[in-house]
Order: sequence, then structure tokens, then C-alpha cells
Amino acid sequence: MVLERDPALEVVDMPINMGPQHPSTHGVFRMVLVVNGEKIVDLVPHIGYMHRGGEKLMEAMDFRQGIGYCDRTEYLAQFSAELAYCLAVERLMDLQVPERAEYIRVILTEMNRLSSHFMFAGAFGVDAGVFATSFTYAFPQREFLQEVFEEVSGDRLMYAYFRVGGLAWEVPDNFVQRVHEVLVHSAQGLKDIDDLLTKNEIFMARCQNIGNFSADQAIAYGLSGPMLRASGVPWDLRKDEPYSVYDRFNFEIPVGNYGDVYDRYLVRMEEMRQSISIIEQALEQLPPDGPIVPEKMPRRLRTPPGEVYAKVEAPRGEWGVYLVSKGGDKPYRLKMRSPSFCNLSALRDMTIGQYLADAVMILGSMDIVLCDVDR
Amino acid sequence: MLGILRSMGVTAKVMLTRKPVTIQYPEVHREIPNRDRAFPILIWDEEKDEPFCTGCHACERACPVECMTVVMKDNPRHATGESKRRKIIDEFWIDYGRCMRCNICVEVCNFEAIGMNNTWAGHELSRYDRSQLVFDLDQLLSQSKAGKVEPGLRA
Amino acid sequence: MMLLAAPSIDMPGWLASIIGLVAITLVMTVGVAYATWYERKIIARMQLRLGPTRVGPFGLLQPIADMVKLLVKEDLRPATADPVAFELAVFAIFIPAFIAFVAVPFTSDWLISPLPLSLVYLLAISGLSFIGFLMAGWGSDNKYALLGGMRAAAQLISYEIPLILAMIGVVMVTASADVYQIILFQDRIPLIALQPLGFLIFLTASIAEVERPPFDIPTGESEVAGGVFIEFSGIRWSMFQLTSYVNMYVFALLGAFVFLGGWEWPFGRDIGWGYQLLLTVVKMSLFIFFYLWIRASFPRMRVDQLMSYAWKVLIPFALLQIFLNGLFIVYDAPGVVLAAASAAGAAALAYLAFRSVRRGEPRKPLRMVPVRATGAPARSAT
Repeated sequence: MVLERDPALEVVDMPINMGPQHPSTHGVFRMVLVVNGEKIVDLVPHIGYMHRGGEKLMEAMDFRQGIGYCDRTEYLAQFSAELAYCLAVERLMDLQVPERAEYIRVILTEMNRLSSHFMFAGAFGVDAGVFATSFTYAFPQREFLQEVFEEVSGDRLMYAYFRVGGLAWEVPDNFVQRVHEVLVHSAQGLKDIDDLLTKNEIFMARCQNIGNFSADQAIAYGLSGPMLRASGVPWDLRKDEPYSVYDRFNFEIPVGNYGDVYDRYLVRMEEMRQSISIIEQALEQLPPDGPIVPEKMPRRLRTPPGEVYAKVEAPRGEWGVYLVSKGGDKPYRLKMRSPSFCNLSALRDMTIGQYLADAVMILGSMDIVLCDVDR
Repeated sequence: MLGILRSMGVTAKVMLTRKPVTIQYPEVHREIPNRDRAFPILIWDEEKDEPFCTGCHACERACPVECMTVVMKDNPRHATGESKRRKIIDEFWIDYGRCMRCNICVEVCNFEAIGMNNTWAGHELSRYDRSQLVFDLDQLLSQSKAGKVEPGLRA
Repeated sequence: MMLLAAPSIDMPGWLASIIGLVAITLVMTVGVAYATWYERKIIARMQLRLGPTRVGPFGLLQPIADMVKLLVKEDLRPATADPVAFELAVFAIFIPAFIAFVAVPFTSDWLISPLPLSLVYLLAISGLSFIGFLMAGWGSDNKYALLGGMRAAAQLISYEIPLILAMIGVVMVTASADVYQIILFQDRIPLIALQPLGFLIFLTASIAEVERPPFDIPTGESEVAGGVFIEFSGIRWSMFQLTSYVNMYVFALLGAFVFLGGWEWPFGRDIGWGYQLLLTVVKMSLFIFFYLWIRASFPRMRVDQLMSYAWKVLIPFALLQIFLNGLFIVYDAPGVVLAAASAAGAAALAYLAFRSVRRGEPRKPLRMVPVRATGAPARSAT
């Protein structure tokens, strides 16, 4: 006997609001999920809670003042953002950055990649449900890195240390030794988090085959960074369009096979190891002395009219600066190409068909920074 | 099975062999480096017994967030020959609530008159009302006059 | 009640029982408050930090501070909450947890109510709490609470079955359903040696019954932000937290008595109530430490994985344990054979449970694409 559904009882899918204030949305981000039981049927993301009109503000800032704002846009990978901005202006002005400055820039940017991926590892474990243990293993590592950054630039989060043409001031004398000390700590911290999470069967069951994204889909959505590499596309700007002195190092790019959440996590863990290797090579090759700004450094930074697009491989993907200048010392239009924004656009297609608990894991694996999404 | 045993092994090892990384603030303060950029303060010239600052507006123009207000005046001590500075600072306000501690004011100063406070007193500035975060000339000079600050990064 | 106190005190049985129950309730309330302190300190050490340190020496007054805060908090109720379900939900969870202590023998003389089927009583009472979760979930008029409530009910009902089956295995071996008799049975060997498979199943199922990580989906903080009890505040929320810890105590005690030998093993019955109580507390603390250790180490399981683990893995193995017990009883084999066979079963459980994560072909590892330096270094390595 088949039970007939009573036509008076309507069965609807339930909308659930993971509002701007939620323990696991990594910032002020709102998702409206429509679920059928436990499976997600639709997802509508709402962004814009952190929009501050950054690109318009930058039009009123000259090329030294704007560096502080780049920090605040991408607040976990600050040096990548500063580097992209400086590269854009240097290309327009056709400035040659001295080698010592380039090497120090690379060392600091890779250390910043380490600290950003530690943040990812910590937060991702919390999303998975580990009772903040991964968080407390990752954050002391960030502290060690931030101590070096504080000794070099003076600030723990908003460094404003790169300048157009090189660096703002010279690094302290014990810089090389300090970086070596910190790398020892970082390797240990990486091993701790690895032991805690990577081979844990419950973690693997939560992460594998979730949010699969094929290489074609990834390219169609304009993903970049670890999300693109986890889907099987071996594209890394440090390899394919090298900038700064990245063409002088031997390293490896991890590329995933399945494009799921576990692959993205593994890619980031492996990138941390490769960053440590790059930093060590850069420390060996660092010229012991030399200028940090070009010889013919103009007193006032004026760019010739023109436009340029400069991009770097930030920890989250391709962070780009599109600069249009009409002469003068302020940009006419500055657009920041944010990797988090483009990665987030793929959220809906990745999440439909997954379970409710997976939505949080997928969002965590994207490693978005909301200030970057909204600028 | 081994994976979860490894996780449990890591937490047990941390519990048994590692020291906690907690620093018990406020009884213990962490060492902050020489170049720390807390908030800008004005420097007092001990020899001439007046501020270095002449009120030239360079920092005010360079500030990205326009947090400073500068008023200069003729230096009364120049007429008497005690000081070489023709103009001297009359009023100076910095709104610490707007300041983004970017160090640009320090870099553009022609007289090395402004520096970043690199002590804990520069960080422990909590106030109950945002209007109390606007510091005037006496407050800005107080740390340097008392000899407590030697700023790290000079232009 | 069998009271150890001086035999000159002559009181009617019901009065003695009431006094005993009140005493246990008070002791347990303080005990679970300090269980929170213990948990925070231990988990903090596992996470490279200190636990509570400010309130009182070593933070020992922290539970009291928490309790005071929760008691004076404003009691918010949603205007559209179902009046009956919302009000009574906490009580429906709170009361069964404390009633379970009636049948728990803390030492050989301290037992409020000697029941010939005390094991059945304990399992039945601890299974009542799922109604409270459903009431809280539905009555809160909140989608997160509803999801949490449904998940909680599903989880609790599912994990009852392996728990009971593991206990049936114990009952078969000891030929008694009375916890007191089971403890007396273990005067030479604890039952963990004879029933390792049953022990593993009990351990897993008890963590799920108490809703602790990795089975804390109903109260999962990062998805449903508090789950079932998201709309409860102040005293009600503290009652829920208290109940969660009391449940943990009940299952820890049950495990200590049934599998680790309680106060009987290894020193026998004649060592006096002080040492017996100490043994009980130590064995219970081992269980609780294990629960805390697991909480700090594992992520949360997703609800469908949790359910499939209960139905597809734990129940067949629990039935296997019962089957082995049956063979042991029918053929009157020595205990060693049962122990060995059960240990093999436990190893098979451990292997298969985690083998099932890797279904199909083994996962391909990451490809590493090398990047070779093309530019000349600024300075070659010395």
C-alpha cells in the first residue's frame, strides 16, 4: 500500500540564513542557503558589508600614501598587495629596483604567504570542528613571523614597508639570523598542524569529494591561486609570468587532481613548505649590502600618462592592480583585481548538491578575505 | 586508525612537553622592538628648550587621512636671539582615532620633529570617548619632554 | 539505602534515600562545575595555552564566577516559541540525568537503590533525554534549533542501539543485569580484557550519547552556532550545560564499573570505602580525560557519516561480539579464547571503520611541477 501525500500539506525547501554574524563565515558575509532536508538546493551570497569605496579613496592618495590602503584591503597577505601596487607604478615609471631590495621583498612576501596560510590552516580546522586546537597551533607561528615583521617595518599587521622603487628603509642588522630562527619555528608548527589534521580519518572524510571543481570549470570562473591549482591546472604566476626575482629560485608547484576541499588544503600545506625553501634560497642569494632605492630616484613620484596591469601570486590567487594615470602624482583610476572576489563567485556552483555542513567547509577552503572581496 | 591516533599523539605531546605561549599581560609586557610605530609624538629639543617643530605643514599635507591640524607662529625666542628657528609651532592637534600610523609624517618632516612613539605608553591609549583621542600640543610633547621616548625610525 | 553511617542512626528507608539523592545532586552539581574547570585547563594545555588563571588561585573559582554570571543573566524567550515545549525542554533533559544516579554504586556500601536490573534502568533513563532535544528544537521557532533538534534525535536514537548491544554482551558474560553484580564479577579480571570489542563500541557510543566531539553535530558551533539551545539563555542554558556534563559523568561511571572493574578490581572488596571511592574516582577520571583528549583532537563528523558509522559499522560489530559471547558460553571455552577473539574483532573494527573512508581506488597524491631558475642569482652560495 502506498501512502499518498496529503495535498493540503505543502512541502517546501527551507531557506536558512547564515547571516553576517556567524562563527564561521570568515568575516561579514551573508549566505542564504535553501536546503531540502540536509542537501543544499540553492545558495545566494550577499557581500558588500565591508565596502569602503577603496578604489575611489585611492584616487586621492599619491603613490606613497596608497600603500597603506593596499595593506588594509588584503589584510592577511599585505606584502603581496603592496608588491603589486609598487610593481604597477614602477612599470609605468620605468624604474629599476635594486637587487637587494628585490630579494628582501621576495623574502618578506614569502614569509607573508606562510603567515597567511597558517591563518588558513587554523581557521579551517575550526570550521571542521576541531575545538580550536589547530587555531592555537597556527597562531603562535604567526606571532613569530609578525615579530620579525615588527622588527623590520614597525607594525604587526599594516606594514606599509614597500615603496615605489624599493623599500622604505633598511632592514635591521640581524635580519638574516632572525629569519632563520623563525623558519625553524615555522617548520615545527607546520608539522604540528600536519600531524593534527592531514591524516586524520575524520578530517579526510569531511574534506574529500566535497566541492569538486573540474579544471574547465575553474578556468571558466576565473579562479586563481590554490583553488585553481587544486583543480589540476598548473598555473602559478611565479612560474608562468615571473615578476621581481622569482626567476632565480628552484621550487615546485603543487597541483591537485580532484579539485575538492582536501586537495586545496593539501596544496596550501605544500605551498608553505615550498615557501620555506624559497626563503632559504633567497637568504643565501641576498646581496649583503647595496642600495634599497634606485640611484636616480625622483623626489616626487609622478607617472607618465598610460595604463598598466601588474599582478602577483598572492596566497589567495592573482592579486592585480590596474592603474590608469593621466600624468600627475595620483592615479586617475585604480582597480584592484581581488582573487577572493573571483573565487567567491564560484561558491554557488560548488555548493549545490552538497550537505549543509559542507557549505562551511567549502567556504573555509576558499580562504577568502572579506575586505578584499568588498574593497 | 593511525590518523586519529596521530592526532591524539600530537595533542598529548603538546600537553606534556610544550610550555604554553601565553604572556600574562598586564603584569608582563612583551618587548617591543626599536622601530615599533605606535602613534606619532613631537620631539622636544633639550638644548634649546623648545619643540623641534616649526609648524611647516609638511606632515599635515602628507598625511593620507588628514588627521593633523597645524598652526605656526613667529618664534618669540628668535627675536631675542635664543633660538635659530624663526617660526615655531603654536597649536598642533593629531586625532589618534584617524591616524593610521603609516610613518609618512616622520619621513617628510624636514626638522626631525616628529617621531613614532615606540614604547608601551604609545599603545596603551584607551579612552572612553573618541573626542579624548584628539591630542594637543602639550600631550604630544609630554613623552619626549619627560625623556621617556627615543623614536626608532628617523627620516 | 545501604548507608555506611553509624548504625545507631535509625531512619526510615525513604528518608535515607531522599537524603542520599539530595547529597548526590549537590555533590554532582559541584562536581560538574569543576569538571568544566578541569576540561578548560586540560584542553588549554593541549592547545599551548593556560586555562582560567585569574579568578582564584589557578582559576579554581572560575566555575563559580560562571555560575553567578549565568544566574543573573536576562532570561530571553522568543515571542513565538511554543510555550509548553520551550519551557519544559530543559527539564526533560535535566531530570533523567540526575535520576540515573539512583542506581549507581559508588562504593560497595553506597547505593541508593539496589535494583536487580540496574543496568537496564541506567540505559533506559539515559535514553529519555532525546525527547528534550526534540522539544527544544521545535519549541524554539528557529531554523537552526530545528535542524539541531532533528540531528540530535537521530543521533541519540541511532547510537542507543550499539550501546545496548555492547551491554548485552556484558550481561551475557556476567549473567547478571545488575551493575553491582557485574562489578563483583570482576574480582580477578576486568571485563575490558574479556570484551575489548564491546569496550570499543561502548566508548564510541557513549561519546555519541553524550554529544561530545566528534559527535557534537547537534550543538556544532561552527555550523549551527549552538544548535538546539540557541534560544536559551541564562539559567536554562546553564542547566543544559550541566546536564551535558552530568551525562558524561554517568557514562564515565558506567564504563568504569562495567569495563574497568569499578571498586572491586584489583584490590578486592575489603579495602574500606575510602580506597574504593578513590578507585572509582580515578577510573572515572580516566574516562573523562579520554573524552577531553578526543575533544581537543578530532574534527566533527558530518551527520550522514555519523549515522552510517552507527548503523553500518558499530551495529554489525556489536552483533559479532554477542555472537562470540554466545559461542563462548555454549562451548564453555576458557576466557582467554574469548579475549583473543574479541581483540581480533576490535582490530577488525578499527581497521574497517577507517578503511571505509578510502573507498574505491587510493587517492592520487599531489603532482609537483618543478620550476627551475632561469635568471642568474645575485650572489652564489658560499
